[in-house]
Amino acid sequence: MTTLWLIIQREFTSNVLTSRFMIGFVVCLMSTAAAVFVQIEDYEKRLSAYHTALQEHQEEIRTWDLYSQINPKAHRKPNPLSIFSVGMEKSGADMVSIELATPIWEKEAQKQGSDNPFLSIFLAIDVIFVFKIVLSVLAILFAYNTISGEREDGTLKLVLSNSVPRDALVLGKYLGSMLSLFPIVVISFTVGVVIAYASPATDFDIGDLLRLLMILLVSLLYVSICYLLGMLLSVWTKVASTTLILSMFVWGILTIVHSNLATLAVVKFPMHKSQSEKEVRQQIGTIWEDFKKERTAQVLKMIGHAHPISAISYEGEISVGLNMSSPGELGFEEFYALKPIHKMDTTKFQAVLGYQEPLRIRYADKAEEILKRREAVDERNRQLGRNISRLSFTDVYGFAVGAITDTDRNSYNDFINQARNYKRQIVDYLTNKNVFSARAWFSRDQGKAEFADLPIFQHRSNSLSENLSLALGDIFILLAWNVSLFMGTYVSFLRYDLS
Amino acid sequence: MIWQIAKKEIYQNLMTLRFVLMIILLPVLMVANALIYGFGDSGYREEANAYHRAMESRLSHVKNNAQESLGRLAMRGPGEIYKQPSPFKFCADGTDELIPRSIPIVGSGAARGGGVTTAYHWRELWSLEYLPSNHGSDVTTLIKIDWVFIGIFMSFFVILFTFDAIAGERTKGTLSLMMANQISRGQVLFAKYLGALLTLAVPLIIGILMNLLIIYLSGNIPFDSGDSLRILGMVGLFALHISIFIFLGLFFSSRVSNAITSLVWLLLTWVCLAFIFPSLLGLFVGTLDPIPSIEIVSSRKRAQLANIEDEFRPMELLETTKLSEAPSPDNPSATRRWATYFTRRYETRTRIADEHVDQQLRQVKLARELTQISPIVCFQHAMEGLAGTGITRYMDFVKQVRRYRQTFIDFIKTADRDDPDSLHIYPVREGLSQKPVDPNAIPRFKERISYQSVIFPMGLLILFNILFFTAAQLSFLKCDLK
Repeated sequence: MTTLWLIIQREFTSNVLTSRFMIGFVVCLMSTAAAVFVQIEDYEKRLSAYHTALQEHQEEIRTWDLYSQINPKAHRKPNPLSIFSVGMEKSGADMVSIELATPIWEKEAQKQGSDNPFLSIFLAIDVIFVFKIVLSVLAILFAYNTISGEREDGTLKLVLSNSVPRDALVLGKYLGSMLSLFPIVVISFTVGVVIAYASPATDFDIGDLLRLLMILLVSLLYVSICYLLGMLLSVWTKVASTTLILSMFVWGILTIVHSNLATLAVVKFPMHKSQSEKEVRQQIGTIWEDFKKERTAQVLKMIGHAHPISAISYEGEISVGLNMSSPGELGFEEFYALKPIHKMDTTKFQAVLGYQEPLRIRYADKAEEILKRREAVDERNRQLGRNISRLSFTDVYGFAVGAITDTDRNSYNDFINQARNYKRQIVDYLTNKNVFSARAWFSRDQGKAEFADLPIFQHRSNSLSENLSLALGDIFILLAWNVSLFMGTYVSFLRYDLS
Repeated sequence: MIWQIAKKEIYQNLMTLRFVLMIILLPVLMVANALIYGFGDSGYREEANAYHRAMESRLSHVKNNAQESLGRLAMRGPGEIYKQPSPFKFCADGTDELIPRSIPIVGSGAARGGGVTTAYHWRELWSLEYLPSNHGSDVTTLIKIDWVFIGIFMSFFVILFTFDAIAGERTKGTLSLMMANQISRGQVLFAKYLGALLTLAVPLIIGILMNLLIIYLSGNIPFDSGDSLRILGMVGLFALHISIFIFLGLFFSSRVSNAITSLVWLLLTWVCLAFIFPSLLGLFVGTLDPIPSIEIVSSRKRAQLANIEDEFRPMELLETTKLSEAPSPDNPSATRRWATYFTRRYETRTRIADEHVDQQLRQVKLARELTQISPIVCFQHAMEGLAGTGITRYMDFVKQVRRYRQTFIDFIKTADRDDPDSLHIYPVREGLSQKPVDPNAIPRFKERISYQSVIFPMGLLILFNILFFTAAQLSFLKCDLK
């Protein structure tokens, strides 16, 4: 035990006193702090845009006095943990506009709180990105000469000529280096958290702090893998400079090339062929044609005329305006402007609307099914890309952190699904109020539409346990990498030839 | 003597593991690039076909309107204007996915934004809109395996080649032996530089040749004679880029006592130049030069358009307003009032859209200028300039489309003056000539691709070379041989 402790101490001291420790520490700290500053500013902007949008939406609801004007919005609340792992927070849409006769499509959802979408051409750097690149380099720089370097210097022979077992040496070196690397990770991360915490916009609750703690632990696992990789290569090669070249080569492949190649390959050669946007729009166009046919047939039966407007009986001169979506759009909205309403008898028209509007919503749902099918195919391709990326532990680390912070693609898809559920809630609300055949659907003369009890969208984030269960697979992979690399190093070192 | 040292360097390098790794990896990346861009979905061929289809539909849209009447053409405009796809996307992708491919003409399509009263049925006058780029992409999709990426990765390899060029020889003691000959330090440095550059050129040239061969065989990307010059230019940019990192490597290698410290410095410098500076400085512009958010701009636009609507009230049916009478060739005063209404709306929309996109692009320009502190970014910008991709190309495109907008309006006004029956009231359909126009006489939009944006980053690359050469030279002159 004393021997192990001695090795740990020696390794720790020799690492801490090197220039690489100081330079690495300063670079890691500075870049983490800078990344947090940039991301905080961005988060503040998104948060303020979110609050403004909510307020404007409340005001907008008050201006609706016809039921047909209903157009609720589902806003995604910015996640404070996006300061550490941006994920889809910045690039994804954060507002879905709910229109009864328009299917919800992720692609058409809107992005708010950005003053310049062109700036997205610059790589969004966050703490996790800094860790992925800088920490992995540092870990490799700490590890490359642990065995081969000592062998070259001749100190390895000297150490092993004492009664030091090889397993104690491997473990001691690993623990000693980890002890010198961990302060860099912990201090940089803590500084990042403190800067984020100091911002008035962030309001971390206990759940967020636990998530941050989890990120730190996962980051430590990641650093450990990088170190073990360097150490394994150090055992496998005889000369430190060869170890270094080989480690840097593997590092470059794993951190920079692999994930991009995997993502691009899947984008360019998708396993599952998704329909083109044009085809989707055509299919949706056909659905709306079917809607018109079904409506015409039924309206013909109801009133003896093909168009709902013909159901209005009137005296004298009137003006009937119809504003509708144009062909090629995803939805098929129609708004009626009837003037002067007091000269019209709209009883039959209301009955027609009572039939027509629920039918329109059903057809919008059918159109949504087509969009969902396409999204599912795209998602399957993305999932394949992610699985191929998982061959690199750097990507596994990114996925694990994305799942813990709830800023990954899953969480984004979840928001779109919540918006779809919200639309169903709105439809149920309107159906229960029986508003489709109400006069207030198109006219305010006999009482305005009442939206006081309108359900408001509440973006529900996943709970910590849900996120952890999502991240568990990736955390397990990281652990497995650690164990296998350590075992690999250990076994290789037991067979290591000192000469 | 210089050549002898350079040869020795080359032989030494050729025997090393790093060279073996590089000669495997670089061609592999180049082949991967060729396969990704030469084959598969959404390649250049598809983009070019989509562009031609869009151009045809635009021309038929213009032709149909022109054959009906000049007045109709004036209201509908020249149709959506598309940016020509670049065949050199495989060299510099330029995050083209995030940059709009066209400038749509709002008001020219379906009857959105128009209106109907019992008196008159109209459409909104056409105007340019600059749609923001797509969303929903992950960060990883921003990095593409193009030549730029391979160049960046190569700079990383350059570091691995040069970190021990001086420090390593000093540790081994061969540096003082070499200097014992009649050779100046400058010559040694230059020989080492030459050795590294020539060694690195081998895998690069092999890779590029393999890449071009596969692209050529795929038949999806056509090349013409001018393109070979652009490719040569890009190879030249590679050389400039690599050269900077060789000098940087020599600088650190002569500056510090051992090779490992030199590598630590080099790696961290590289990480900063490749990732940290470009990203952070690119995103800092939001603070340096703030602009109003999209929501503020659109609410401002809505408010100003609402003021115009309140003043003219075109949709009012039951009361008399400025626009109660429909425009017609027999009613010039009503036509003039509609012209004022349309012009005011057009000017407001155009001014706000132009101003906003100018602000956004100014911010991007500032960000690009700031990030050029890194030679890697300069290399990227110069490559994008030669490949005709990236945001600078879009900026140029916006300028050209605006000039074309004015040319188109001038053409309508000139053609209208030739018709004696016209009221010459622009931009109301009834106030303009009702005769058809010869579609061939309408000015066509022809995008000119300028390579001016290459000059500045290329100049900076040369400057960085001189700077790092001087730094390496001075550092080597001052360095201790033991």
